[in-house]
Amino acid sequence: MVRVVVGIKWVPNTQAVRFDPKTGTLIREGVPSIVNPHDLDAVELALKLRDRYGGEVIAISMAPPSAIKGLEHVLGMGVDRAILISDRVFAGADTLATSYVLANAIRRLGSFDLIIFGQETIDSSTAHIPAQVASWLDLPYVYYVEDVEELGGGRAVVRRRLEDRIEWYEIELPAVIATAMHSQQPRPVRLSYKLRAKTERRVEVWDNKVLGLDERCVGLRGSPTVVTKVTWMPEVPRKRQVFRGDPREAVKWLIEKLREEGVLPY
Amino acid sequence: MEMNQPSRFDAIVVGAGPAGATAALKLAEKGYKVLLLERGRGAGSKQVFGGRVYAELLRRVFGDLKDAPIHRWVKREALMLADGDRLVAVAYWTANSTSFTTYLGQLTSWIVERAVNAGAVFVDEVRVDRLLVRDGRVVGIEAGPDRVEADVVIDAEGVNRLLLERLGLVAKPKPAHVALGVKEVIRLSEKAVTERFGLEDGEGLAWVIVGSVTDYLPGGAFVYTNKDSVSVGLVLHLDAAVRGLRAHVHELVERLRLHPLLRRYWGDGDVVEYSAHLTIESPEFIPKSLVHDGLIVVGDAAGLLLSTGLTVRGVDYAVFSGFLAAEAVDCARKEGGFTRDVLSACYEQPLRRSAVYRDIVRRKRASKLMKDERLFRDAVRFAVKAASTIYELGEETPKLAEALEEAERAARLSKLSLALMLIRLVRGL
Ligand SMILES: Cc1cc2nc3c(=O)[nH]c(=O)nc-3n(C[C@H](O)[C@H](O)[C@H](O)COP(=O)(O)OP(=O)(O)OC[C@H]3O[C@@H](n4cnc5c(N)ncnc54)[C@H](O)[C@@H]3O)c2cc1C
Repeated sequence: MVRVVVGIKWVPNTQAVRFDPKTGTLIREGVPSIVNPHDLDAVELALKLRDRYGGEVIAISMAPPSAIKGLEHVLGMGVDRAILISDRVFAGADTLATSYVLANAIRRLGSFDLIIFGQETIDSSTAHIPAQVASWLDLPYVYYVEDVEELGGGRAVVRRRLEDRIEWYEIELPAVIATAMHSQQPRPVRLSYKLRAKTERRVEVWDNKVLGLDERCVGLRGSPTVVTKVTWMPEVPRKRQVFRGDPREAVKWLIEKLREEGVLPY
Repeated sequence: MEMNQPSRFDAIVVGAGPAGATAALKLAEKGYKVLLLERGRGAGSKQVFGGRVYAELLRRVFGDLKDAPIHRWVKREALMLADGDRLVAVAYWTANSTSFTTYLGQLTSWIVERAVNAGAVFVDEVRVDRLLVRDGRVVGIEAGPDRVEADVVIDAEGVNRLLLERLGLVAKPKPAHVALGVKEVIRLSEKAVTERFGLEDGEGLAWVIVGSVTDYLPGGAFVYTNKDSVSVGLVLHLDAAVRGLRAHVHELVERLRLHPLLRRYWGDGDVVEYSAHLTIESPEFIPKSLVHDGLIVVGDAAGLLLSTGLTVRGVDYAVFSGFLAAEAVDCARKEGGFTRDVLSACYEQPLRRSAVYRDIVRRKRASKLMKDERLFRDAVRFAVKAASTIYELGEETPKLAEALEEAERAARLSKLSLALMLIRLVRGL
């Protein structure tokens, strides 16, 4: 039996977000939010472990109430229990304040074997949260994990892939891991699970009355991060050059052009 | 593996388009336990339409439309006959509007939200794979490994009737009965839309353009003004497109977007959406029977769409049929069950007696005419040539009769065939 907690972030669908080149800001208006796609790798790995060893998968997310939709999605995939941590006092949190809330919420869940996160989020890509949660809870942490190969007796063997090598770690449980992006194929939702999510096992909502955290440590007040400056990459107009003709000639032409542009060094 | 007791509902609605969402809303309001299933993410993500909805039937079903996502009330219509970079426009302006523009996804979400508030269970991201049949009657649905049962299933799956096809209740669509629609949504500011098209706040327009914009093929292009965007697209009769289309349909839309006479309205806007969908082009798409034991068919799946060439009504008809289906469930329960005969008396017959249905089948002749390729090529060329002879003057000012004669020659169209076409057109429409 395993007990796995999965962290979920509710993010604007950045593929649908457009960029306003005049102001340098994101146009988020009207853009639907989604479950951070890389978190679905984490959900899939957790479900696989549960299918293999039995037990329970609990999804947890700190987000506004609209994230219930996202948690219903992972319940639809087969997650056993979903908790939304939502309270106005948690709003405006940086990664430190967020990880503090998550770690304390996870503590409330009692004993567990693994906490699994996705590699990073598509809207900020810091990858801070898993490391910080591991620090708050004083647990070992391995990232870029492709698979959990063995699990039992208070230990697990996890495999992670780096650019030029594969590494195996034997870690003591409980532990925190972050999955490598695209390392899993998240399963589709199932009607019966989604129905259950809508009728019996609704998403639980925890506010700060439940968690009882010091308000100085959460939300905007608990966030020491200061954004002093934002710059953005200017949009580079495309050159719109087309080569028609023999593919061999095309390759030569392309290499020539890339050299001219300084993209190829020689 | 799963030992779940299969859930049971009074009614299952397949497809959260305007038809299914309305049926679910009305059933939930009557206190039925209803499940609404949609394969897309959220309501309305898989639907495509041009841009305008007639309000009368919606008011009858939903009451006043105060909080509905209405973009603009259409007060200006135009039919344009385009031949290259010349076009003839016939405009209709009014202070009184009977239709509004909107995004279909927003309208559908609005209905679904009401249905959920009324107690309907809405599950998205789940595709129904087949209708569950036992002893010749529909008793529920199958989705992946799961089955859910209900007293009655309402099929609101839209024009791609895979579920009905799989059951053998309808044949695959014939190219002659359907058309391909493609559309782009171009984002502008609200002010730009209002000013450039000569509108006032909250006012909208609808254009139909035929001729060179579809390569002279049967069908037409459309333009609708939304709140802060323009929907531009075209509909091509599938059989004609298969035979005569030289370019990719997408290229036709691009050509339309960049049309020298039209691009001034939206050329600097961002294309924020591109979509394509089948639509119904003939009353022959209507299935022989709209009910079976345990099954009611509504909306596009039931072929309830009327396209006259100048106007399209699908959404309001979908809403209307969804409403009738919910009434029928009530009626059938009182009449002793969901057999084909009872459902026929409670749904199919009232529907077939309705003005909506009669209007659709009355247009059989018109829908044949709308396939007449000469109408889209020769008649357009004739009109544009006549207009250019009348308006583009050098030293001489031709008489009207001369202009018409020259146009006849240019379009290779005799007076007789022109007159015949006109008569058929008037009678058909
Ligand atoms: C280009 C174009 C322009 C149009 N312009 C107009 C217009 O201006 N005005 C107008 O009134 N009408 C217009 N129409 C027609 C109008 O869009 C349709 O008549 C209307 O959407 C029909 O509603 P419906 O609910 O029957 O089907 P749909 O709106 O097609 O909804 C069907 C729903 O069922 C879902 N579904 C299908 N199969 C399954 C399954 N197996 N499991 C789960 N879910 C499923 C689909 O995802 C979809 O959401 C246009 C159509 C096109 C293509």
